[in-house]
Amino acid sequence: MRIIVAEDNDILRKSLSFFLESKGFSVDQFSDGKEALDAIEKENYDLILTDINMPGVSGMEITQHVRENLKSDIPVIILTSSGVEQTELDSFDIGANEFIAKPVSPAVLLVRINKLLKTRI
Amino acid sequence: MNKDYPIPENELQRLAALKRYNILDTLPDDAFDDATRLVSYICGVPIAHISFIDEDRQWFKSEIGIGVSEVPREITFCNYTILDTEIVEINDTHVNERFKDDPNVTGGFNVRFYAGVPLTTPDGYNIGTLCAIDHEVKELNENQRNALSIIAKHVIAQLELGTKNNQLYAQRKIAERAILARDSFLANMSHEIRTPLNAIVGFTDLLAQTELDETQRDYIESVQIAGERLLLIVNDILDLSKIESGNLTIESNPFNLKKTLKHIYNLLKVKVKSDVDFNLFLDAEMPDMVVGDQGRLSQILVNLIGNALKFTTEGEVIVSVKKIEETEDSYSLKFSVKDTGIGIPKDKLETIFERFTQGEESTTRTFGGTGLGLNIVKQLVELQKGEVHVKSTLNRGSEFYVIISYQKTNFEETVVKTVSKNDLGHLKILLCEDNVLNQKLAKSVINNFGFDLDIASNGEEGIELLSQNEYDLVLMDLQMPVKDGYQTTEYIRNEMNSTIPIVAMTAHSLVGEQERCYQSGMNAYVPKPFKQSVLLKAIKTVMTPGSDAYHRRIIDMSFLDEMSGGDPEFKKDMIALFIEKIPNQATLLEEAFKNTDYENVKKLAHNMKSSMDIFMLQDLSNCLSIIEGEASSGEFTAETLDKVNIFSCGIEEVVKILKEL
Repeated sequence: MRIIVAEDNDILRKSLSFFLESKGFSVDQFSDGKEALDAIEKENYDLILTDINMPGVSGMEITQHVRENLKSDIPVIILTSSGVEQTELDSFDIGANEFIAKPVSPAVLLVRINKLLKTRI
Repeated sequence: MNKDYPIPENELQRLAALKRYNILDTLPDDAFDDATRLVSYICGVPIAHISFIDEDRQWFKSEIGIGVSEVPREITFCNYTILDTEIVEINDTHVNERFKDDPNVTGGFNVRFYAGVPLTTPDGYNIGTLCAIDHEVKELNENQRNALSIIAKHVIAQLELGTKNNQLYAQRKIAERAILARDSFLANMSHEIRTPLNAIVGFTDLLAQTELDETQRDYIESVQIAGERLLLIVNDILDLSKIESGNLTIESNPFNLKKTLKHIYNLLKVKVKSDVDFNLFLDAEMPDMVVGDQGRLSQILVNLIGNALKFTTEGEVIVSVKKIEETEDSYSLKFSVKDTGIGIPKDKLETIFERFTQGEESTTRTFGGTGLGLNIVKQLVELQKGEVHVKSTLNRGSEFYVIISYQKTNFEETVVKTVSKNDLGHLKILLCEDNVLNQKLAKSVINNFGFDLDIASNGEEGIELLSQNEYDLVLMDLQMPVKDGYQTTEYIRNEMNSTIPIVAMTAHSLVGEQERCYQSGMNAYVPKPFKQSVLLKAIKTVMTPGSDAYHRRIIDMSFLDEMSGGDPEFKKDMIALFIEKIPNQATLLEEAFKNTDYENVKKLAHNMKSSMDIFMLQDLSNCLSIIEGEASSGEFTAETLDKVNIFSCGIEEVVKILKEL
């Protein structure tokens, strides 16, 4: 299973990637939204994990692009800050499958990822 | 509007009712999909759907056998169903005058059989339909028709539930914001009240030391008692707001448990009424030294014992401490406070730990108090992962007991030779303080101690005096014009290369400030309003070499361990990354804050928060949340400045600790 991780905080991104790789996923990581989007267009990922706030292209814009322009139903998980309001509803409106408030619990993340990948197959 | 299809009489209200549910164009939902499946099973049809009809389309919330998410309104059969109050069933469209030439009958979906139930809101508007459709002639039996109506009711119930959930969510947000506003108001007010209280309590102490006749002494004692009581209340409120905002941290240091308990006992013994026996019983197996938060334990016990003494006019108050469990690395201790006082009515026992709650409404008038004490006790106990319980019989007495676990320690208490006032000799002290009242107060106190005092009314003046004269010690106010206490200290340490002891004095008593004082090179910290004995103790401490009390934070790596699965190399990499990135970002944050660059402050605070979370630096993460929030609202306050400062110092400290790992 291939997962793309888009998160601009280096420590969090590397930790998430390391964690997911240790659980058997193959992970491509990006700190820039635009680069992540280019990769999504070129490569064949099974799941997108993106921060809501990213330089270049935001997590919301990535999701919107994937749904509207690429017409893909690939599972999208958006990481939000608990402080940001309305995020919950917005991320549903634009077609994200899940939103997870930071700080992200690795165990919760894994459960949600597995759930999304399973319902898809 | 296209008039080829009928428009319900109440169309405008109907559309408004639909809009209220915010259901259009939402993601698929299991609850609705299940309902659609049920319709298909029960009626044995290949096509079923739940749909909503707005101005110009029929949108499918859930569908089987249709394959599109919406169709134009003018082509749907359901236009007629929403005019009705009951099920509309067309067994054979080919013999139905209205539909036999419909494009969806002759082609399209090839509808031969149609059954539709209007989805009616509780206030009576048909906002959509629940339908069963087949390509063959069909007739539903009574049970099938009833089932469709029941499912339609459930669909509406589901919608109602969703709306209620959203309302609850919105209301919870509003309530949370209100609580936040109240807490920061309380914290600010407490601070504003403490400052003048400092002067009142201080001058009263001084006045009490002068020669007075009996009446005057009586008056002064009344003022002293009132002042102290007011201070206790303000401290209660401040504590509570700190707990609520997550700014109160539990320390973990070795301390002597027996000594602490005896000290509390001696302190409260003076308040005991003549008809009351006050006793302290210690379990013989109780440990001497434990690791935990001594200050918070004292606060809990003083509060509980203070209550017991207050509400007991005759009989006894017994404090007992027992070891109830011992493991390899910890003790579980039970602290009990039992009295023969007024007791608590049965129906109040459950709410006694709630805020502003007291045993009786009249308690406040008879006995005084804010009704905050027990709530603080409960929260402090819970912060230490302990539990607090109460047993009581009205007019017979009460027992409060607290169970807290403390870590074991090998730490041997080293006896620091305490210096008596005379041992210090004749000290020459410099005070940096801008408030004239406080200058006067400190001068009297210091002179009383038998020391000499020079006064500078800001940091610049202080530095000038320091370079001209010889001093033994500096007392430093933190908020001053021209150069504040931190800047002055840094100048003394870094530019003048002086190691003169510096004691901070401040009316702020925020978490993190003490750390910041130590960071900038100060040696001790005295909160205002200061007690003479506390100030003297601080002076003695800094004048006694080798007794630096240095509080260190402990970094919790459990989250990083979970992420890394315990891989030491990866952990090392992340720590290196933190050390490399975060101090730079913290500097950028400070700069952006100085330039009131809201956009960058917001970005930096947001970005760094994840890094704090990974190292479980909850306090620093909280700082960033507040900073981010203020930056988003486009306004910085004194609190933002505080948080930025606390954050910078915290980072400096964390990086130092991480580098040593």
